[in-house]
Amino acid sequence: MNRPSLLALGLVLAVAAAPLAAAPAPVAGADRIVSRTLPNGLEIVVWPDDDIPNVAMYTWYRVGSRNERPGITGLSHYFEHMMFNGTKTRPPGEFDRAMEASGGRNNAYTSSDVTVYQNWFPVSATPLIFDLESDRMRYLDFDPKVVESERGVVYSERRSSVDNDNFGTLIEQMQATAFIAHPYQIPTIGWPSDIEGWKVEDLQAFYRQYYAPNNAVMFVVGAVDPEEIFALAERYLAPLEAQPAPPPVTTREPPQLGERRLRIQREAQTPIVAMAWHSTAAPDRQTRVMEVVLSILGSGDSSRLHQRLVEREQAAVQVGTSLDQGFDPGLAWIYAIVPPGGDPANTVRLIDEEIARLAKDGPTAPELAKARNQALAGFWRGLETISGKAQALGTYHVFHGDYRKLFDAPAVYEGITAEDVRQAAATVLRVNNRTVGVLEPKPADTPTPERAAAAAGGAR
Amino acid sequence: MSARCGGLARVAIALGAGVLLATSMAAEAAASAAPGGVRLPEFERVTLDNGVELALMPKRDTPLVAMNVVVRGGLLADAPGREGTAALLAELMQKGAGARDGAAFAEAIESVGGQLTIDAGAESLSLGASFLARDLGLMIELASDALLRPRLNATEFDKVRERAIQSIAAAKDADPRALVGQYGNAWLFRGHPYGRPVGGSEESLAMVTLEDLKRHYEAQVRGDRLIIAVVGDFDTADLRRRLESAFGSLGRAAAAAPVATRAPTVEGRRVLLVDKPGATQTYFWLGNVGASRTDPERTAQAVVNTVFGGRFTSMLNTELRIKSGLTYGARSAFDRLAEPGAFSITSFTATESTVQALDLALATLDRLHAEGIDAATLESARSYMLGQFPPSIETNGALAARLTDLLMYGLGRDDVDEFAARVGAVDGAAAKRVIGQSFPLSRNLAIVLVGDAARIREQVGKYGPVTEMKITDPRFGPR
Repeated sequence: MNRPSLLALGLVLAVAAAPLAAAPAPVAGADRIVSRTLPNGLEIVVWPDDDIPNVAMYTWYRVGSRNERPGITGLSHYFEHMMFNGTKTRPPGEFDRAMEASGGRNNAYTSSDVTVYQNWFPVSATPLIFDLESDRMRYLDFDPKVVESERGVVYSERRSSVDNDNFGTLIEQMQATAFIAHPYQIPTIGWPSDIEGWKVEDLQAFYRQYYAPNNAVMFVVGAVDPEEIFALAERYLAPLEAQPAPPPVTTREPPQLGERRLRIQREAQTPIVAMAWHSTAAPDRQTRVMEVVLSILGSGDSSRLHQRLVEREQAAVQVGTSLDQGFDPGLAWIYAIVPPGGDPANTVRLIDEEIARLAKDGPTAPELAKARNQALAGFWRGLETISGKAQALGTYHVFHGDYRKLFDAPAVYEGITAEDVRQAAATVLRVNNRTVGVLEPKPADTPTPERAAAAAGGAR
Repeated sequence: MSARCGGLARVAIALGAGVLLATSMAAEAAASAAPGGVRLPEFERVTLDNGVELALMPKRDTPLVAMNVVVRGGLLADAPGREGTAALLAELMQKGAGARDGAAFAEAIESVGGQLTIDAGAESLSLGASFLARDLGLMIELASDALLRPRLNATEFDKVRERAIQSIAAAKDADPRALVGQYGNAWLFRGHPYGRPVGGSEESLAMVTLEDLKRHYEAQVRGDRLIIAVVGDFDTADLRRRLESAFGSLGRAAAAAPVATRAPTVEGRRVLLVDKPGATQTYFWLGNVGASRTDPERTAQAVVNTVFGGRFTSMLNTELRIKSGLTYGARSAFDRLAEPGAFSITSFTATESTVQALDLALATLDRLHAEGIDAATLESARSYMLGQFPPSIETNGALAARLTDLLMYGLGRDDVDEFAARVGAVDGAAAKRVIGQSFPLSRNLAIVLVGDAARIREQVGKYGPVTEMKITDPRFGPR
């Protein structure tokens, strides 16, 4: 079937947001996980797994767009790109060429909270990968020509994921509206004028401040011997110097005092509605409860919102949920794609009715059991691959303080009661605590901002 | 939210403050282990009396079980003008089957944390399922209900069809990267089955009736069209009995499965310009007829494609992204079907750099033909394919899909087991040979551009005769 790209997004998020299941889960090989902290503060966690002759190495830095400010929005993500673009010992491009020639592949991602570098490689390439990682952690350099070309790459990324995608456009504006004080208001990709404005000095300051061994954790999962990994770490990573801890993010979002409404007009056939409520931070137990709330409301075709909006009333082509899980309290999201010609207000009203019903009566026993089973299955699916294991270890270690908590997740979900769910729905999904965004088709004769700017000679 | 790579083998999308994800497209380049490669784990093959083919692979390292069922036919069985019939059937089979209506069917899957979806492809329907091993029996029950006892309810049909049409409209409001390939195939394979949209178009879906679905079902969803693979924690003899009991009653097809013929390659260039007013970026697709799933040269083609457009440091990504910053990503790929599908080059760039990026893509293709591949780069590509192959068959679901793929295309386990040896054997002569045979010349391409036509219309005429349509037109190709 033909589906909008955000369908896939919604499904994957629903699964990713639901790692769960009872008593420390009996995961084969979990007893082989070992960790060590180098004197410079760099933590290394190793999970030996011989299923395939490969390794997943994920290096997490505790820095993201939450650490930015006006003028340098998007810098964390742009910096992530620049981590591949040359050091004092290797010219731009050499990092990728060497890794691919040894059979390895890489990627990286940046969120509001963290920046994560991923390497996937045959075990034979392990020493080279340590060499490459340590080199860019220690000797990163910024070639002015590459600084400019990479700016174009990131701008293209922004056009793809935000400017030419109606869903991306709406979500960015909602985030900027829902937070009036906390830097979660900043889009990770960066505002266009900042993308045009980043300077080499910004990158240099950022490198010193955030790319320190004591601000990072490395996870190595695959067909490796932990002692050999620790020996490589001693050789390549121990020489990195610890730095003063980066300045903490201290701003707290003040309580929201009333509903915020946002309306935007774009070239569109299908309206979109999205709702976002202030929720809790990753390690907060309430965040686990909110996962269950959103699962019951919107996870899968049997969920309340899908059955009501999509199947029974045809007020949505698709409905989905998502939950931010970061260092600071994030947002709980519900969104719906409205059929062409449909009334967004009606879709919002139906969502409101379903929320009110859950907040009043709570979930049924079968619904609660379903949410737990989905969580349990999601937990196991997340651990099917070495990449999934590296991601799961990192999530729990960085956001929950200890990778071992991963294995308690199923039991945590088992402990959530129907009253927990009802109460969370009632306290979080309140009208005064939310931002409602509607993207609607622009009347035919309105000039687009892009064309207006182009006519004025100002478009990039 | 934002990741490093999307165009190549990496896509990242974000929603909200803290959530993000990166998915990788299965690059054709992904290919086998270090020295010696990996072997496909042992599996048992059985053909039931009614022609159903089974491949059962017991694997006990996770408490999950995966199932993949392929039904030959798919889009190839759709009547002309009724594209989307197979796709709607795939969807409707999940909206009520056996003793369950649509809501109860979804509830049965999700209440145990299972996943079960049915999708249509160019030459098959495909059911994929993942359940906790303790729910193996339920998984077989649901899969056999959907395939053998779908209700094909008229009310559900109306909703499914309407939603399919609306979903296409929604997709046209979203990232054009997801759609440019559909326009590309329609423009390249004009009049050939591979050019028809698997999910249908707004126009063709409006023509499809429930009777069309029932005809497709009766003719195609038959025992001798089915291939079933199961991978996970089970006893093989027990599972075999269960599957025989669940699927053994399905009758044989009355006629042979529909097949495609080989499409003629495109000579010269032609341009389809799809107007998306207000777009700040032009999304482009350049293609010609490529190679089949069973092409004896497929490994050499994959090695060359790795170099040309299949990995981050590929020639295309180096020129269009790394050196020039014109795009977030540029790549190339072969769509492999029973007959050759498209070989395509895809990328996107700011509207004002459309011509610069297109010229560069064409020049890079010219360079592949003129200069070939040097020994060091070839060696690097072979290592890359070997190193990236094992993760491609890491999960039960990936193994189940691989097994049905092998059976569907008549390939043996050596397709996996001897992958490393085949990659190792691709030398300079083989690379040169497949560049000439399987990679189009820049003067022979079907070209699709999705962008703001008012701002690029004049400039792109130099690539060939231009046909224009609107993105809101209810079809994926011009009339």
